[in-house]
Amino acid sequence: MAAEVPTGLEPEGVAVDGRRRRAFVACARSDAVTVVDLVAGTALAEVRVGREPMDIVFDEATDRVFTADLLGETVSAVDASTLSLIASVPVGLYPSGLALDADRRRLYCGCALSATVVTIELETFDVVASIAAGPGAGAIAVDGKRSHVFCANFLGGSVTVIDPEAQRVVTEIEVGAAPCALVVNQARDELYVANSFADTVTAVHLGTFELLGTTAVDRTPVGAALAATGDRLYVSNRGAGTVSVLGVGDRVEWARFPAGDGPGGCTVDASTGRLLVANAGSGSLTVVEDLLAGRPAAAPEQRAHALLGRKLPPFELPDAQTGILRSSREWAERKYIVNFFASW
Amino acid sequence: MILIDVWEGGDSPQRAREYCERWGIRGTVLLDEEGAYAKRVGVRGVPTNVLVDEAGTVRAFGAGNPDELDAHVDQLLRDASPEGPGR
Repeated sequence: MAAEVPTGLEPEGVAVDGRRRRAFVACARSDAVTVVDLVAGTALAEVRVGREPMDIVFDEATDRVFTADLLGETVSAVDASTLSLIASVPVGLYPSGLALDADRRRLYCGCALSATVVTIELETFDVVASIAAGPGAGAIAVDGKRSHVFCANFLGGSVTVIDPEAQRVVTEIEVGAAPCALVVNQARDELYVANSFADTVTAVHLGTFELLGTTAVDRTPVGAALAATGDRLYVSNRGAGTVSVLGVGDRVEWARFPAGDGPGGCTVDASTGRLLVANAGSGSLTVVEDLLAGRPAAAPEQRAHALLGRKLPPFELPDAQTGILRSSREWAERKYIVNFFASW
Repeated sequence: MILIDVWEGGDSPQRAREYCERWGIRGTVLLDEEGAYAKRVGVRGVPTNVLVDEAGTVRAFGAGNPDELDAHVDQLLRDASPEGPGR
């Protein structure tokens, strides 16, 4: 790890301004974007946007940052030079995924509750289309070569393929359970889908939509980014606090390393090749230097958790309803499951 | 099942209650706002399920995806702890 930078609450998505050497981190519980100086490794500003920004992209041509604001039901536009909010564009319900088509000057937003993909003109902020996708429409990726837009339907276990020019659905591809992140690899003509409830990544051919293979990763993969080298995919595993490194050629997990708590959205800084991971649990941005030259000789070690076969440490925690402290002694001599969760 | 809400970053009781109401979750919900207990147990992400037998021994850790959790629960219900009920 090269650095871990404290951000606002529940950082979910990250984008990079390569020229200014800044990262923009969408911090959902802060209703703000934390601006990080990538050279100094510190946060230098916070910009208020809409309610619960979940995803974020940077458009170099207009020097603007855009966020998908889940509870605000908007896409916010921020001027990257003045760090000020300049527009809030109403979109569908629960906007949660964003992707840019920089060449065609369009922004696409997956709206989970509306089950739609909204098209926004980048220069004017006009909403020019709203196309039906699947339940839980969220993460978006763009095949610039064919002008296809892919939308991951979290609740449907599928990916909708859209022709935005014709404003129609081309097809729907069945993938793994709860697809949460999409990455286009233009060089290999492949799309990668992180299936968060299946703990897998599925590769799909961009032209034929054929399923090319599925690779197991760690628990609950929710973010993904292609390395600058083009030979590997980084996958952030929210359930395990790790990042998997997958070879794109061999579809094998090469390595696994710890990130912060509850890692989510990630991106690669094209200038340095470093991976940036937003950790919703830690409230931090992890910056990772990948020193792996290629696939290691040994597969990543799968170690059993240190607590397996040992006593669960006792707890005494307040009850959410009553505020009264509850102790693990209440469940003595019983079989039970402790489910650690977060409402984000 | 005991649910422990972690890393909320403020307003934990309200957020936890709203979440449970939205998803129809009933049962015991406890708050570990700063994640101190999660850290002690070695939880690094969510969701994480820890299955405990009647002796208080951890029998499975992780089991985030539904199929894996089902399999571990079946195992836990079938097996008796070699130690018997704990103290």
